[in-house]
Amino acid sequence: MDFSPLTDALASKSYEKIADICDDLMLKVAAEGIAFQDEWPYVIHLLGYYYVNDINSARFLWKSIPSTIKDSRAEVVAAWKIGQHLWTRDYAGVYDAIRGFDWSQEAQALVAAFSELYTKRMFQLLMSAYSTISTQDTALFLGMNEDDAAYSDVQQQGWTLDPASRMLTVKKQPHVTEQKLDPSKMQCLTEYVFHLEH
Amino acid sequence: MQSIENLVTQIQGLSSNASDITALKDYLKAGEDLLRSESTRLLSFLDQLDPSKHSLGYLYFLEPCMYCSITKERANTLVPIIARFITSCSAEQIRYVPEKFINVCKRYKDQVLLLEAPIRGVGPMLTAIRKIQSSTEHLTTLHPEFLQLCLLAKCYKAGLSVLEDDIYEINLPRDFFLYCYYGGMIFIGQKRFRKALELLHNVVTAPMSSINAIAVEAYKKYILVSLIHHGQFSSTLPKYTSSAAQRNLKNFSQPYMELVNTYNTGKIVELETYVQTNREKFESDNNLGLVKQVVSSMYKRNIQRLTQTYLTLSLQDIANTVQLNSSKEAEMHVLQMIQDGEIFATINQKDGMVRFLEDPEQYKTCEMIEHIDSSIQRIMSLSKKLTAMDELISCDPLYLGKAGRERQRFDFDDFDSVPQKFNI
Amino acid sequence: MEPEDEQSNSMMEEICSNGGEESARTRPIISGEQLDVEAYASLYQGRTKITRLMFIADHCDIASMQLEALRMAYDEIKKGENTQLFREVVKKIDGRLGPNYAMDEAWCDSVDRRAEQRKEKLENELNAYRTNLIKESIRMGYNDFGDFYYAHGALGDAFKSYVRTRDYCTTSKHIIHMCMSAILVSIEMGQFTHVTSYVSKAEQTPEALEPVTIAKLRCAAGLAHLEARKYKLAARKFLEVGPDLGNSYNEVIAAQDVATYGGLCALASFDRAELKSKVIDNVNFRNFLELVPEVRELINDFYSSRYASCLDYLGNLKANLLLDIHLHDHVETLYDQIRNKALIQYTHPFVSVDLHMMANAFKTSVAGIEKELEALITDNQIQARIDSHNKILYARHADQRNATFQRVLQTGSEFDQDVRAMLLRANLLKHEYNVRAARKL
Repeated sequence: MDFSPLTDALASKSYEKIADICDDLMLKVAAEGIAFQDEWPYVIHLLGYYYVNDINSARFLWKSIPSTIKDSRAEVVAAWKIGQHLWTRDYAGVYDAIRGFDWSQEAQALVAAFSELYTKRMFQLLMSAYSTISTQDTALFLGMNEDDAAYSDVQQQGWTLDPASRMLTVKKQPHVTEQKLDPSKMQCLTEYVFHLEH
Repeated sequence: MQSIENLVTQIQGLSSNASDITALKDYLKAGEDLLRSESTRLLSFLDQLDPSKHSLGYLYFLEPCMYCSITKERANTLVPIIARFITSCSAEQIRYVPEKFINVCKRYKDQVLLLEAPIRGVGPMLTAIRKIQSSTEHLTTLHPEFLQLCLLAKCYKAGLSVLEDDIYEINLPRDFFLYCYYGGMIFIGQKRFRKALELLHNVVTAPMSSINAIAVEAYKKYILVSLIHHGQFSSTLPKYTSSAAQRNLKNFSQPYMELVNTYNTGKIVELETYVQTNREKFESDNNLGLVKQVVSSMYKRNIQRLTQTYLTLSLQDIANTVQLNSSKEAEMHVLQMIQDGEIFATINQKDGMVRFLEDPEQYKTCEMIEHIDSSIQRIMSLSKKLTAMDELISCDPLYLGKAGRERQRFDFDDFDSVPQKFNI
Repeated sequence: MEPEDEQSNSMMEEICSNGGEESARTRPIISGEQLDVEAYASLYQGRTKITRLMFIADHCDIASMQLEALRMAYDEIKKGENTQLFREVVKKIDGRLGPNYAMDEAWCDSVDRRAEQRKEKLENELNAYRTNLIKESIRMGYNDFGDFYYAHGALGDAFKSYVRTRDYCTTSKHIIHMCMSAILVSIEMGQFTHVTSYVSKAEQTPEALEPVTIAKLRCAAGLAHLEARKYKLAARKFLEVGPDLGNSYNEVIAAQDVATYGGLCALASFDRAELKSKVIDNVNFRNFLELVPEVRELINDFYSSRYASCLDYLGNLKANLLLDIHLHDHVETLYDQIRNKALIQYTHPFVSVDLHMMANAFKTSVAGIEKELEALITDNQIQARIDSHNKILYARHADQRNATFQRVLQTGSEFDQDVRAMLLRANLLKHEYNVRAARKL
């Protein structure tokens, strides 16, 4: 099996491409009749899906993994544990699953990258979904301890803490959007009107 | 004097240009009986042919091998050969005998299933579709075969590559039914319910002279996905639906119709009880998973309704109204819905309140304009297609003959009723 | 005008002078008291008087009132020839009114005997007319039969006899007479589809109708729409009833009923503008409303947004309206609709409404008003949203621009899907048709 596209992507930290590369590669080796399952990098493949937030595909991949592999490779099971928590939206459980396993050399970097990305996603979610939130919940969602949540990290984003109730007031970030129009749109508009008239 | 050896020589000699190929085709056609009678020996000759250069000949040699009974062992030999052929053959050449190519591909699918390795067929089958179809608008017989392999191999994502094409040309109604049904299942797996509904709706409303099992199963799934996605289901089928479907579908899906009734009461406990008592029926239809999603979608639907009514509401009130056990559970449901973009709201943990917001979309961003623009483009091209189709049909002698018999002058304004007119 | 009417009118006037004042809200409303059965019954005559009294007896919980109604029904029946109704009412009285209101077999026998003789005579007469083929006499013969059956309570036969006169009608007057008889019997039988069809038959006669006939037909049509729960149409018909009606149709309906039925139906189904132009500014209908000042007042209160007072009047009227033979089944629905209308109208002019104040105005709790508003918002009848935290209702002004964009995109994607599905179906049919054609060859 030629894993070079995958190793290249991992080396260049192009994690968002991992899932697609794995998918293609898998279909290719399968078509060639190679019994790929025993050597397949399921951990990387699963993590690749998590990275692009494709939990559905991760779930189907898990379902297709032969039981012998599930029994013999603990890391695959550990990787799926993350997926399970993502699937059930057990936001804090994801961090536990990440921390709860001693990841192999190959997986470490990807796990760390995913963990960072996940925290970022959670932070965005908290920002859009909450106006006030307890430090305890913030810590759970962001996978940190409560004091960090209360004092250091989030305050950098302008969140304020009410020490009495241990509630954080969330500061929304101004949403910047591009509103400038390309003049070529005028051309399109002309074409539409033409279409309507004929 | 024909012999296998002769044929091999001919193939090797006549595979370079179009006129040669035409000649070769006639030649091979004449040798078909011979090939069939010698089918057991053919495999050994394949080594002398190059699947990419001698694709037509290769196909003629390969096809008869499919007809003898296939054991697992034989499948083990054949599958890699066919896979290599599909991957490397020349599309131009195999299109001279598409039915042979399709035959080989179908047998190929049977063989990978025999080997219990559906994933082996996914890639080659996709290649086969791309090679045999005249354009991406063309639905081939291989489409449903491919989608079935994707489902069995749990490679749902791979299936999307053909499902994203808009198809218009159909050879066999059966292909269309299966394509839409399997496609619906793939979209369901990917939780792309809108697309799933579209495909399942196509099955249910397709013209049919008698009811078929695919339509019935599609209708059941359509009911469930409707509830999950829209929170409601209307049992009235559009007027162009065949009378066979109109008459029979509801009778064949009684437990599902009752599920809809129970859903409409808005009472989660009643729904859960109903599902529990009819569990076996749903399970035997392989729909239990979807039914469970229906149940959880009811919370969403009830919360969504509240957003229309309330500006602020306490988490406790939400929990009471949508029948959740605690305000924390209500918070988690609201949070999930915010995450999925299903509602716009902010949770205020301090006061235990939720503030529901309007959709922040202002339709001003470049991105949105790009989206609107592409929609307009799409619809313009569709309407052109429609006009072309209209013209084509109104010039079709068969159509004119029939329409003329039924009505003196056919009013083309009600294009929609055309299917019923045709449906004898 | 008959003395009975004068009496009731003067009573009404007294109430008017109370109701017209601003202070009316605080004063007790007279009609809230127990229904005066005698005054009520005096508004009607004939069969409807009896059936209305018996309806009251069947539906009221107050024993004294029940007996009063039965006693009057007994007396009224005794004036007529309907022994079947007589037996019924005696059974209901069940000896509670003493020996004077017991079973009178002798009376029944003599009435029945006379009926037999009369019937025989009518039959002979009719047969004679028919052999002589004198159209007008045959018509009279059937009509007499109709009257005879009606008097004896055989409504189905009465209807058939009246309808049979149709073939022998020679003038518009005859047709009108036939229609009016058919309508009367149909109302008694509760066959309101017949009512509608004979009303339109009567209205289609070529000659101009007398104003009083027009008024009667409007009443009958109004009743038919009311029964069919088409309150808006019912309101329109009742509002069109002319002043000539007076008490001329009291075998069916009293002028007071026109005011009550029309007023409540209008309130439940009209928008503000229609209420103003067709009810409040309707000089003709105002005369009817004067007869039932409570209804007039509650309509005015509603229009002037004095909802508490309006609801007070409605609440007080309710018990009596539930005893009305025609309105009985519709009171709840009409009341719900009026209340919803009031809620909608109350919220309409405001940007924000304090739910405490609103609950007060509608005599309910904050939680109650929140639930009612929730239902109306869900039903898209009120464009507002509830701030449950601060208990304030905020009007929602949809952004036209955004809504348009949203709708356009939605329509676009529906079109997209529909067209593709249609092209596919067309192709399938074409294919199938070709196959079939090929098979035939």
